[in-house]
Amino acid sequence: MTRVVVRRLLEMALVMAIVVTIVFVIVRIAPGDPAAMMLGPDATAKDVADLRARLGLDQSLPAQYGRYVWGLLHGDLGQSIFLARPVTQALWERAEPTFFLTLFSILIACGIALPVGILSAYRHGSVFDQITSTVAMFAASIPSFWLGLVLMQLFAVKLGWFQPSGYGGPGASLGERLNHLVLPACALGIVSSALIARFTRASMLDVLGDDYVRTARAKGMSEIRVVLLHAFKNALIPILTVIGLTAALLISGAIVTETVFGLPGVGSLVVSAVLRRDYPVIQGTLLVVAGLYVLINFIIDMLYLVVDPRVRY
Amino acid sequence: MKNSVRILLSTAVALVCIGGPAVADPMRGGVVDVATIGEPPTLDPVSSTADLVGIISQHMFETLYTFDKNWAVTPLLAAAMPKVSADGTVYTIELRPGVTFHDGTAMTSKDVVASLQRWLKIGSRGKQVAANVVSIEPAGDLAVKITLKSAYAPLTAFLAFNNSAAIVIPAANNEDTLTKFVGTGPYMLKERKPDQYVQLVRFPGYASRAGDPDGYGGARKQYLDEIRFVPVPDANTRVEGAVAGQFGYVDSLPIESFARVKAGKDVPMMLKPFGWPMFVMNTKQGVLADLGLRKAIQAALAPEDMLTAAFGSKEFFAVEGSMYPKDYVWATDAGTDAYKPQGDTAAASALLKKANYDPSKPIRILTSRQYEFHYKMALVAQEYLKAAGFAVQLDVVEWATLIQRRADPALWDIYITHSPFLPEPALIGFMSDAAPGWWTSPAKTAAIGAFNTETDPAKRLKLWAEVQKVIYAEAPAFKVGNFNALAAKSPKLEGVAAAPWPYFWNAWLEK
Repeated sequence: MTRVVVRRLLEMALVMAIVVTIVFVIVRIAPGDPAAMMLGPDATAKDVADLRARLGLDQSLPAQYGRYVWGLLHGDLGQSIFLARPVTQALWERAEPTFFLTLFSILIACGIALPVGILSAYRHGSVFDQITSTVAMFAASIPSFWLGLVLMQLFAVKLGWFQPSGYGGPGASLGERLNHLVLPACALGIVSSALIARFTRASMLDVLGDDYVRTARAKGMSEIRVVLLHAFKNALIPILTVIGLTAALLISGAIVTETVFGLPGVGSLVVSAVLRRDYPVIQGTLLVVAGLYVLINFIIDMLYLVVDPRVRY
Repeated sequence: MKNSVRILLSTAVALVCIGGPAVADPMRGGVVDVATIGEPPTLDPVSSTADLVGIISQHMFETLYTFDKNWAVTPLLAAAMPKVSADGTVYTIELRPGVTFHDGTAMTSKDVVASLQRWLKIGSRGKQVAANVVSIEPAGDLAVKITLKSAYAPLTAFLAFNNSAAIVIPAANNEDTLTKFVGTGPYMLKERKPDQYVQLVRFPGYASRAGDPDGYGGARKQYLDEIRFVPVPDANTRVEGAVAGQFGYVDSLPIESFARVKAGKDVPMMLKPFGWPMFVMNTKQGVLADLGLRKAIQAALAPEDMLTAAFGSKEFFAVEGSMYPKDYVWATDAGTDAYKPQGDTAAASALLKKANYDPSKPIRILTSRQYEFHYKMALVAQEYLKAAGFAVQLDVVEWATLIQRRADPALWDIYITHSPFLPEPALIGFMSDAAPGWWTSPAKTAAIGAFNTETDPAKRLKLWAEVQKVIYAEAPAFKVGNFNALAAKSPKLEGVAAAPWPYFWNAWLEK
């Protein structure tokens, strides 16, 4: 076990080293220049060159890379060129909206998808099943940003129930900030619910015909108990997997929705950093996201060992 | 009796009509949220020429001079207009007494000298002036003396402009990269949360000029408790915010959303005209280094169609060749014969033939969709250039790439940009030899040299006409026309005028 853990940790370190290098190179070879973006449209080439020198961007790529890696080894993701603060602080500040947005989106997605998926499977082939399957297919095809704009138009502009954008001003309470998340969470949650509903339906269909379900019914158990306690419990593992994957995608993939709703989350941080060519922020964010994925995979692999001792690496 | 009542009622109605609606006195207090196009790259207006930086930072930092409602230079931190020596090389600037910084220290000539030296060292516009500066030194506690190598009339306009601005900060904070944002402005920085807000609060020790407000000059009243600049990068989201009445003020709305904004809760504000789109030509390298071909481009382009494609209704643009619109003192028709609203394809073809144009070398137009109207104009221009016989290559890149590529003369022939109408012609980008496009010529040097060294305002107007003639004769850039800008404000927000760099001192909120 210890040997496996050590080996996996070494593999993780190697993966992260590759990620660090690829991200560093890709960011640097992309066209655009943070110095030119900072100085504005009327700056001359000399102004840009002077600022590049002040930012250390005139050094050779290996020198910049060495400096960056040295910083990483000391736990330093660097200093944002535009935000006047360390990258770790910028990331930490953006974690809250992204975390709550992901959480609410998943809750909304599950709140819609699980009952619909279970009922569709239970009434397999019925009108309800056909309608929900069609709606799910339609929902899966909707871009979340478009749905977001529609929700914004209806609930923020026409009805005035929510704010169209932002995350509250200075001193806004948690409740006010969460109020700003309702519409984007609905936009993401409704779109994500389609996938989860289809997986739930398929998974439930697999187990509803199994012998133990028939046995439970034969024992005179109520249909609710049969479906929810026996069938659903056993269908839950693939459903959990897809929920987990959806959550992971939302953490890094709510970029467009965050931008449309002006939410200062990790997604919008990456977008603005890319548009401004804020190299340290792009590198730091991608590194942290990649690190999270690697860590989650590591934990899952280790859980396999705990759950099923027959698993060998 | 009935007649008396009728007369009394009629008189009352007439009085109400003559007097118009009652105008309430400005009220103190309240917070205004200002939706902006994004997060400013910095809050230091010396180090950036971005308009957004100027819009926010002008509330925190002040310059020696600024512009009044007629775009004339007027004192701000200076006590009065400078005393200029007869040969125009020595400027003595008296400072206003009693001005304090946000940290409570008093502003003295030492602070001003250190600040101006910083501006000359790191400011893009400061560097333009620096080559002509011999010295900047204190002349007592409340006066500074600027000595120039030769007369330079635009100096006060450079000292007044709010981006790449010659702001005054405490000498103790004088670093290349500002870490303390301490100015003398009516509002001071409380908190900056990137991509959420820049929070400015009233500076209790502010020393306003006396008298009435006058454009960016005159008295600056601090009615509002707080001003919060909220970045809303998505244009559609800004429109929805204006329609829903979410913000006190919404900047830079797409002009085509006018009707939608008008039907919403906020009040649309049109700045007419705001600025001018331009096709900057590469005079240094490539096919357009040939003047004949630049003249062919000038003849081929049809500004009316380009503006229609870009802005739709004629309500939002004007087809005008003068570098300044009619309301500005700098407006002149000199040289504008070469500006053809419908284009002149036949003349362009003839010029192209005369210049022996090689069609294997396409005109590379560098543009982006950051500003959709740039792209729309590029599409129309492409067709007109093709009709004249040019081969055209449209290079559509995103803004950061465009900003980088335009610095390399090997990569483009035309790039598309725009500018607000700047208060002083010397501030226009391509007037500098170093600006992308790299326009230099004996005629330019002579015309701009005479314009910049002349200190008599009336004579400068005539000399500007000569400069405009040279611009049309040498075609370093093609001015497409004038266009308007759209913003929106809450019906409760008063005291705000449509401006290229909107400001919120003097603004107040009605209950």
